[in-house]
Amino acid sequence: MLIYIINRILQIIPVIFILSILVFGFVHALPGDVIDTLTATDGEEDPEVRAALEKEFGLDKPIYVQYFIWIGNVLQGDFGKSLVTRRPVNIELLERIPATVYLALVGIGLSILIAVPLGTLAAVRRNTLTDYTAQISSLAGISIPEFWFAILCILLFALHLGWLPSSGYAPFFSEPGKSIWYLILPALAVGFRQAAFTTRLTRSSMLDELSKDYVDTARSLGLSERKVIYKYTLRNAMIPTITISGLQLASLLGGTVVLETIFSWPGIGLAIYSAIQLRDFPVIQAGVLVLGIMVVIINLLVDITYRVLNPRVGMG
Amino acid sequence: MSDQQLQSRQRVDTISPDDTPFAIRMRRIQAVSRNALDELLKSKTATIGAIMMIFLLSVCILTPILATHSPIKTNYRIRLEPASAEHYFGTDKFGRDIYSRVLWGGQRIVLISLAAVTFGLILGIPLGVFAGFFGGRFDAISMRFVDGLIAFPGLLLYLLIITVAREWKLEGFWNDLILVFALGVNTMPEIARLTRGTAMVESKREYVEAAHVVGEGSFYIALREILPNIISPLIVNATVRLGFIILIIAALSFLGLGTPPPTPDWGSDLNVARQHMETNPMIAVYPGLAICYSVLAFNLFGDGLRDILDPRTQDR
Amino acid sequence: MSEQKISNSFGKQTRREFVATASAIAASAAAASVPGSALAAKNKGGTLRFSTRADARGLDPQRNIIYYVSHPLAATSGGLLDIDANMDIVPAIGEEWTVSDDMKTYTFKIRKGVTFHNGADVDAPAIKWNYDRVRDPKTSHSFHRSFFKEVEDVVAVDKHTLRITLKTPSAVFLASVTYYPVNLIAPNSVAQVDTHPVGCGPFKFVSWKRYAKTEMVRFENFWQTDAQGNSYPYLDAIEGYPKKEDKVRLTALRTGEVDLIENMSYADAANFKKNETANYNTWDIPQVGCGYLAIQAKKGPFAMDAADGKLMRQALAHAIDKEAIHQAIFNGLSESLNGFYGTASSWHMPDIKNVKEYDPEKSKSILRKLNAMNTPIAVVARQAYSYMHDTGELVYSMLQEAGFKTTNEVFDNPVLRKKYKKADYGIDSTANSYRFEPDQWYSVNVLSSGPSTKLRTGYKNEAADKLIVAARATRDKQVRMEMYTDVESMVNEDSALIYTHGIPLTSAATKKLKDYAPAFAGPFNISNGGVRTAYLES
Repeated sequence: MLIYIINRILQIIPVIFILSILVFGFVHALPGDVIDTLTATDGEEDPEVRAALEKEFGLDKPIYVQYFIWIGNVLQGDFGKSLVTRRPVNIELLERIPATVYLALVGIGLSILIAVPLGTLAAVRRNTLTDYTAQISSLAGISIPEFWFAILCILLFALHLGWLPSSGYAPFFSEPGKSIWYLILPALAVGFRQAAFTTRLTRSSMLDELSKDYVDTARSLGLSERKVIYKYTLRNAMIPTITISGLQLASLLGGTVVLETIFSWPGIGLAIYSAIQLRDFPVIQAGVLVLGIMVVIINLLVDITYRVLNPRVGMG
Repeated sequence: MSDQQLQSRQRVDTISPDDTPFAIRMRRIQAVSRNALDELLKSKTATIGAIMMIFLLSVCILTPILATHSPIKTNYRIRLEPASAEHYFGTDKFGRDIYSRVLWGGQRIVLISLAAVTFGLILGIPLGVFAGFFGGRFDAISMRFVDGLIAFPGLLLYLLIITVAREWKLEGFWNDLILVFALGVNTMPEIARLTRGTAMVESKREYVEAAHVVGEGSFYIALREILPNIISPLIVNATVRLGFIILIIAALSFLGLGTPPPTPDWGSDLNVARQHMETNPMIAVYPGLAICYSVLAFNLFGDGLRDILDPRTQDR
Repeated sequence: MSEQKISNSFGKQTRREFVATASAIAASAAAASVPGSALAAKNKGGTLRFSTRADARGLDPQRNIIYYVSHPLAATSGGLLDIDANMDIVPAIGEEWTVSDDMKTYTFKIRKGVTFHNGADVDAPAIKWNYDRVRDPKTSHSFHRSFFKEVEDVVAVDKHTLRITLKTPSAVFLASVTYYPVNLIAPNSVAQVDTHPVGCGPFKFVSWKRYAKTEMVRFENFWQTDAQGNSYPYLDAIEGYPKKEDKVRLTALRTGEVDLIENMSYADAANFKKNETANYNTWDIPQVGCGYLAIQAKKGPFAMDAADGKLMRQALAHAIDKEAIHQAIFNGLSESLNGFYGTASSWHMPDIKNVKEYDPEKSKSILRKLNAMNTPIAVVARQAYSYMHDTGELVYSMLQEAGFKTTNEVFDNPVLRKKYKKADYGIDSTANSYRFEPDQWYSVNVLSSGPSTKLRTGYKNEAADKLIVAARATRDKQVRMEMYTDVESMVNEDSALIYTHGIPLTSAATKKLKDYAPAFAGPFNISNGGVRTAYLES
């Protein structure tokens, strides 16, 4: 197992390398002239200003040289500075990433809390009212467009019921109470949606497991139904659920843009999205790369968990 | 894919030694279609889903006949009108007929999602099957590539692709193709990983080993034995994905990267309607319901189909 | 707008009156002892929570073109002169000034005892340092710099006298030294300008968490005082919360999470004003800007030098139904315009001629006569502003009906700028705002050598050019007004710019917020008003 883990960690390096080229390529393919966008002159531009800015941001060099300079600096922990705010990118990201991770983690946690009991129940009581209720409520979560759902939630819980604040953010470590207060609504919006996927998946993998031979064997040996379900089948059925939750967590890292926009949640998705519009390339590059590395690490953890839980899978 | 699955299951009782190949084939097709219908009717969710989907698809096909007005003709004198005999769903803020816009928008969005998912499956399944089955170097290389794509976080890949493509001034069909490409490429990694995960499990099972012993070639085993066994999680995933893609298009509209107006599009129509959420809620209700309906139809059908297709749950 | 006030701002005889007003204010300040030790008004205070659609892009007020007119950070900045509630230019740090007869030398007397937030003096050398920084293309934004294009030299004559000499005579230069567009920062704080700016506005910068929160606290030594000698501002602090989604911003106001919001959506504004008068004040800020359609007249069938270019452009103009835009986009809140300035502005020109009325049949007949039916034209608009691309969408179908073959495209700003440069578009649905001095509009967007004209439309009319240049050196407002009216008549005749609408902007606040009102074009940091006089009822 240790060898496998080391092996997998080594495999991360080429993935990140591929990702860095992808990001760099995309960012430099974005249409529009960075310097022009930045200076936004109403007319003739000053070649001297252009030259100075190109030099300042290293745009005067050939593209591959720019890439190697960038990657070299990144390896030393320097992501350059934002074109727009002129603050170091590290500062720009340092405040953003925790906000997104916080939202995604709590959201996924909530979704598992909703999905696993619901999915198990639906599978065990297949084709009963419980099953249908579970299925329909899980489907409701995915059938509504996210932004629409979020705005409806705000109108209901903030405006009409007055239970929760409409939007906003406070960092967890300095103001934990306020922070959680602000988190509830967006985290529920994330969790409810993600639970729709995981409930279905838990249900179908439970059904898969329940139909397997060992279940019948266990039953014939006189083990109680409860023990069969909770000790053996659920454990196996959790494998795909964990795989998908891990992937969901990874995809949420850049996928909460819409919710971040609506809930005024100062996350990384919102930051990268704004940076794309402003062509703030150091921020886009760094943001996507850092998120990408986090995604890769999460995927690695998912893989390892997958193997721990399912020893039948070989050490390939 | 589903036909292949059904075929393999029906093979035993349809082949008799003295038939011509043509007659065998015909009989098989008949049996398959008769059985498919019988099976379909056994599952409530599948039946409902199938009816919903047939309705959706027929409406899409019949759109040119059903639509009563031009979806893009504006007339401010009749803006924001309630439903009437002339405008079945009323008019939007530009005075366009919502009924016709919903119809035309549906045709477009259903085609785009089908195309995108198909594209994702075509890329993802072969990659996943071979990686999972053969393991080794091929697995390592292809999975690093998939990891690289997965590491590109969430919506950001779409945002970048579409921002880059926007400038190309593509119109109508070609613009939609970009969407299909972006959505398909992002569908692929999940399909590939899911396929690979199952293929890995399946490749260690007795029947595969048995097939090896009998002397069947690896390629043949991979296709014939593994594919039918991984089909159910894939179908669950692909149908969820169909609905999911409709939702992604809606999210992109919210971020301003949806279909450029005035092309009718559920996502962008819903997005525009959110301004009128409190004053004229009905404008949002129609495209919103259309989205919910389609997502539900795809999901119910997928769920039901899964139950039918999986031989292990067949007799339960 | 009285005649006297008009001449007040720009006439020669006005200086005396201005000096008089200025000294009165100075005297009242002096009576309450020097600014700084002036007492804050008792019982007036509170923390104003202000929610805006956009967040700042950066902190350096000379490098960033954020809307310093209605943005929380605007409260931290100050200029040599102020704008009052009517958008007239009034004394501030520059307490009096003289203009030479050739209108090329402006001499300002700097108020004594004014300091930056870090205690450094706001004196002539500090202001000169700022103006030099703004003139340097490497350290300033082109928007700010453009207001100093005609400056030849800035001289600190002594600690309290600043002299600015211009290359060409100008009667309009005072508008360039107000806090918007040109702010002052403490010269000794330049190293921290991107992280912690130090200005001289009524509030001190505390922190900026991008996309989340901006914090400012009261500047205890702000120079302006009320009639009782209490120093402004009254509020203890301002917190800015960017909330991009219109609906959410409005909800935050209604749930009491914030006290003041801007940019209410047009769909909500009418209802809100009707139903919520008991608890909220709303302000329609009418002349925040003017929406217009800019036709690419550099090349192609609509070009200035094309044989039938003018007729073709008129065919476009006749196809535009302003009433439809008024209803469909602005929900009846706007007003249809034939010139840049709306009725709420003292520069509104009622006598503009050659207006091309909505008449699609006329468009068609022109096209038929020129054998130009189905001439292709691309309608473009900016993604960031929904009213722009919504209008574009409507214009697209109007032109379609009038016999053009249109396409409709929405781009983000960088792509749009590329299209401008390559003259790769037909008609741009756009807007311009906060040009409280008309020269800032005409010299930039109508004058053929104007930077924006050259970039976008390529409009050229020699008679209009002459009038614009002459107006810049004319002191009498009434005479200028007539000149600009003639210019607008030519613009309408040539149809390279089609003015459509005044862009309304609705802001709202709880009734607890007292003595607050935005100026008519939006700014909230104005002389004797806005955020300086506002306070929250406890």
